[in-house]
Amino acid sequence: MPVAHFLSRCLSRLLAGGLLAVLAGPLVAEDPAFSIQGFATLGATRSDSRELEFVRDLSQPRGARLEWTPSVDSVAGVQADWRLTPALTATVQAVSRYRHDRSYAPELAWAFLRYEATPELSWRAGRLGTDFFMLADSRLIGYSYLTVRPVGDFFWHLPFSSIDGVDLLASRVFGDGVLRGKLFYGAPSAHLPLAQEQWKIDDSPMAGGYLDWQQGSWQWRAGYAALRFNHDLPLAGTLARLLPEPWLAESLAHLKTAGRRSDYYSLGAVYDDGPWQVQLMVNRIEQQSAAFESSHAASLLLGRRFGGVTPYLGYSLARSSPKRERLNPVVDRVMADSHVQQSTSTAGVRWDVARHTALKFQWDGIRAASTSLFPFRDDPAGGRWSGRMNVYSLTLDYVFR
Amino acid sequence: MKRRKLLLILFGIACLLPGGAPLAELVVVVNVRSGVSAMTRGEVVNLFFGRSRQLFNGIEAQVADLQDTHPDREHFYRALVGKELADINAYWARQLFSGHLRPPPQLKTSEEMLRWVAERPGGVGYVDLRQADARVRVVYELKP
Repeated sequence: MPVAHFLSRCLSRLLAGGLLAVLAGPLVAEDPAFSIQGFATLGATRSDSRELEFVRDLSQPRGARLEWTPSVDSVAGVQADWRLTPALTATVQAVSRYRHDRSYAPELAWAFLRYEATPELSWRAGRLGTDFFMLADSRLIGYSYLTVRPVGDFFWHLPFSSIDGVDLLASRVFGDGVLRGKLFYGAPSAHLPLAQEQWKIDDSPMAGGYLDWQQGSWQWRAGYAALRFNHDLPLAGTLARLLPEPWLAESLAHLKTAGRRSDYYSLGAVYDDGPWQVQLMVNRIEQQSAAFESSHAASLLLGRRFGGVTPYLGYSLARSSPKRERLNPVVDRVMADSHVQQSTSTAGVRWDVARHTALKFQWDGIRAASTSLFPFRDDPAGGRWSGRMNVYSLTLDYVFR
Repeated sequence: MKRRKLLLILFGIACLLPGGAPLAELVVVVNVRSGVSAMTRGEVVNLFFGRSRQLFNGIEAQVADLQDTHPDREHFYRALVGKELADINAYWARQLFSGHLRPPPQLKTSEEMLRWVAERPGGVGYVDLRQADARVRVVYELKP
């Protein structure tokens, strides 16, 4: 979306001006008009698999095998907030992490203007985080949650966390509870690696929203979003080498994604009381295109703090349903890549070692059907694997403000 | 002999530790012209966690917090929600870096907190009960 690009360019210029103002003279310490803050995670991740590579999300083209690697969980981000008027603020966040093109090139995670029309109503425009799946827009801020990384099984099918567009957030207090509703429209800002190619989805229109009720220790959220793809998967080159006409044209038509929709439904509940934290989330994703399988996922997380140390346990699962119609073995192989049928048991501990600093160690035991290939990299030649993988992770999370 | 000396020194250090000091009785205070005379625990939680941005009568709330180094901050959140500062800081990291909310400004001293509240019609803060003077109105008392 050129509008969002233009906006973000303007914003970065404005922010550069703000930075100069900060360097030039002191601001009121109490409520700074301009602030810079950041977050970082230093991670080391390995698995015990010789067959497949474990990734944190599908934006990563390579993952962890037997050797410890920093690429899965390490991330650094810096954010600037500038209050232009009491009602208008600008926010820009840049993040560097291992990404779709195998580099750590910094990306613009957010770049938006927020206008607070009233204390109960605000607009945002630009590059925005999306949270129709609960907690989806804080997936890179390791310090902000209990586990080493967001639950993969729940988020595999949501490989982007921001859109270029607009959103509207309304909230209202009822007694001790707060009801919030959000609506958004835009296009995801993401490239997805697919074998050696990349799939463009950054001009595919998306709309959705959520309703959220928070009272006392409980928070409930129901979210929905719909995405209509504008492009086909970048498969023409690969298929042309494997299939002669007329099977080629027929196969490409079968795997068409342009003009097809994905519908995302989710429910989430969080119980957060004193030392206890419990999270339950479920989702369902309907895929119109024959190239992808519809799926559902669930995740449960339980943690309790003892002083500075919080041990936690989690369990999650993801399942997708194979399409009935079959065309030829090559197409079957392509479609098999989107199959997921697995569960993950998680145990870990978070230790808040110092102010704004947390150390975490986590074990994930993945038990999968031999055909569950979707969440992994470097698929085995036969399209099957043992279905057992243990992942060990150590992270140091930090935020500065 | 040496051992007794060591014990004496340890005892002396133990006496100096803050553990024996009585905990401050903290109260939530608002501006005297805000029109608010009392709050429920739920209202206080909603304001200090940014869930609600206005007082019950529609005045925009301007909440202030203390810096981590001020002992009252730790006592306040322990008494209000039973949480450690690391939990509170993690919460605000999530709000801030996901682009949702900015945390309330963090002031250095209780005196600054009192001035913050006295100078703003929607000012909300917390101080030790003994420090709450005529400039502010106590609307909620926390059990230590």
